[in-house]
Amino acid sequence: MAYDESSDTHSIQTINLTKSFRKKKHKGIFSFLKKGNEKEKSETTDITVALDHVNLKIRAGELFGLLGPNGAGKTTLVKCLSTILIPDEGTAIINGFDIRKQTTFVRASLGMVIGGERTLYWKLTARDNLTYFASLYKMPRKRIKERVDELLGIMDLLDRADERLEDYSTGMRQKVAIARALLHDPPVLLLDEPTLGLDPTFSRQIRNQIRELSKKEGKTVLLATHYMEEADELCDRIAIINEGKIVAVDTSDQLKAMVKETELVEVVCYNPPQDAEEYLKSLCPDVEIVTLVRGEEAKGAPSRIKLIGGNAEKRIGTVIDALRRKNTQIASLNISVPTLEDVFIKLTGAKLTEGGRGANQ
Amino acid sequence: MKMYPSGTPSFKANLLIVWSEFVKNMKFLMAYPVLFVFWTIFPFFWFIPFIFQGQAFVGGLQSTSFEQFAGTPNYIPFVVIGAILNGYVLTSLYGVGESIRREAYRGTLDYLLSSPCNKAFILIGKAVSESINSTMYAAIQLVVGILLFGIEVTTGVIMPIVLIIFLLILGLYGISLMLAAVSLQFKQAHDLSHTLEYVFYIFSPVRYPLQSLPFWAQVLGRFLPLTYALLAVRSLMLLKQNILAIYQEIFLLFVLDIAAILLGFYLFNWMEKRTKSSGTISHY
Repeated sequence: MAYDESSDTHSIQTINLTKSFRKKKHKGIFSFLKKGNEKEKSETTDITVALDHVNLKIRAGELFGLLGPNGAGKTTLVKCLSTILIPDEGTAIINGFDIRKQTTFVRASLGMVIGGERTLYWKLTARDNLTYFASLYKMPRKRIKERVDELLGIMDLLDRADERLEDYSTGMRQKVAIARALLHDPPVLLLDEPTLGLDPTFSRQIRNQIRELSKKEGKTVLLATHYMEEADELCDRIAIINEGKIVAVDTSDQLKAMVKETELVEVVCYNPPQDAEEYLKSLCPDVEIVTLVRGEEAKGAPSRIKLIGGNAEKRIGTVIDALRRKNTQIASLNISVPTLEDVFIKLTGAKLTEGGRGANQ
Repeated sequence: MKMYPSGTPSFKANLLIVWSEFVKNMKFLMAYPVLFVFWTIFPFFWFIPFIFQGQAFVGGLQSTSFEQFAGTPNYIPFVVIGAILNGYVLTSLYGVGESIRREAYRGTLDYLLSSPCNKAFILIGKAVSESINSTMYAAIQLVVGILLFGIEVTTGVIMPIVLIIFLLILGLYGISLMLAAVSLQFKQAHDLSHTLEYVFYIFSPVRYPLQSLPFWAQVLGRFLPLTYALLAVRSLMLLKQNILAIYQEIFLLFVLDIAAILLGFYLFNWMEKRTKSSGTISHY
């Protein structure tokens, strides 16, 4: 479905949303004994721009991905939208309500999953947890009971509904967290890393449920994730976020089209040189980015070198010769189909799995 | 599209929030049954040393010099009433503020703050749980006081005492709100609670009559709701006065309640906004 920018049926719209955090440096317990000048004092606080004039428009019923590494600003955006944080500048409109001025209606329009399984009462049962949180949405008592049973059934938890969450697995607790977000049947869902730490089976179940919530129930879903496969598989459109800035917004296919196939070469190999990235970049200055992901070679998993952008395809011969000179065994060489990771690397110069402020800190 | 809340906050829905919070807290208490034992025994441990100390000083359970200050020669009923009412202070000081910190630690605070209900009702629910716990412990202590220490309770004083305890709880609720606000900002209200606990011990007539304090300390004590509650309850139970004789204490307690609750709400809302701006609201 083509995205219509002029459409006025946006469920989520952010307007220059900006948020910074001040972090105090810890100078040590005896730092007060040191003679400090004004410059030193001013250096005790770091300012991190977590969101930098973010502008997004998410259509009603859209499953929208927010893809970025740890520390990119995904959780801060979700927290601002859910009114847990107050932005420094700009605002957002959720379901027609302003997050600064109409907080009660924004909160009533939202269901969120943030922080995962830890954010429940483990000493209470699944039923107790859901009943308690439902009461905060001023639902009638009879409706609470019906809705809790309905959601426990949907999540396949009815037979263990009266067990304490401390006896649940991580995946089951995450299902309860998702059920909590759906209690008041909100039109908008904010999901922050909903499959983090789950095994493949539970991840698949949760992803299927997210897809159904969007496609069958028509909910607008903002899915913040650092799993590119998840964003690729589920989302109608994806915004790539890095260091608080939205660097691209489009469908997965359109984003991947930003990296031409002739611009992407992958070398699968063993024993690449330590400085492979710098070494190959110096030999191929017209290639934009060279990345190396080391495999666990002792267990048989090869390393992978990627050349992205520019005339990567024309540099294959140079790369093979250079790697052989460094005693690297080349297992295969592919002109690859681009992934969202490649798009991210091309746009930001960092790896999705390693990049971002969070990973660097 | 059906959306909760409907936009019209109803009394029934708010009452359900208070009730749900109460039920949640009771279930937590059931999950840690040893807490029952601790809070039932602890208040006795607290006042037993003063009984021995009193006996050592005055050579018995009655003292004429004590009577000059307190209006009654009976030291033990005086201390037992002090311990019972002070129990409400202890559970309030360590209850609501700590509970906010625990919510942040569990990761549930974000969900409470991002719900559309008025947060005051969640806090009232927490305070009601604490008050009902306190009343349970107070009832146990009172029964022991009647059986072992000869405390007399006539039917005529029960309703006035219930009113005084209700007013005491209101004032303590205001103080709890202030501690919850401190907890949001500083993530640690325990030390402040501990300090306040001793402020109550020293400046309120828990263990000794107010008149035995120096003038400046008596003035300070007059700013604490426990002081008026103790003066009023002891007048009813020990001096056998009627409610008309204590109207001043009840009025001043009510004034303190209003001031504490208003200040508590103001501080909590201010700290909530401040920590949402600084991004530290979920920290613990």
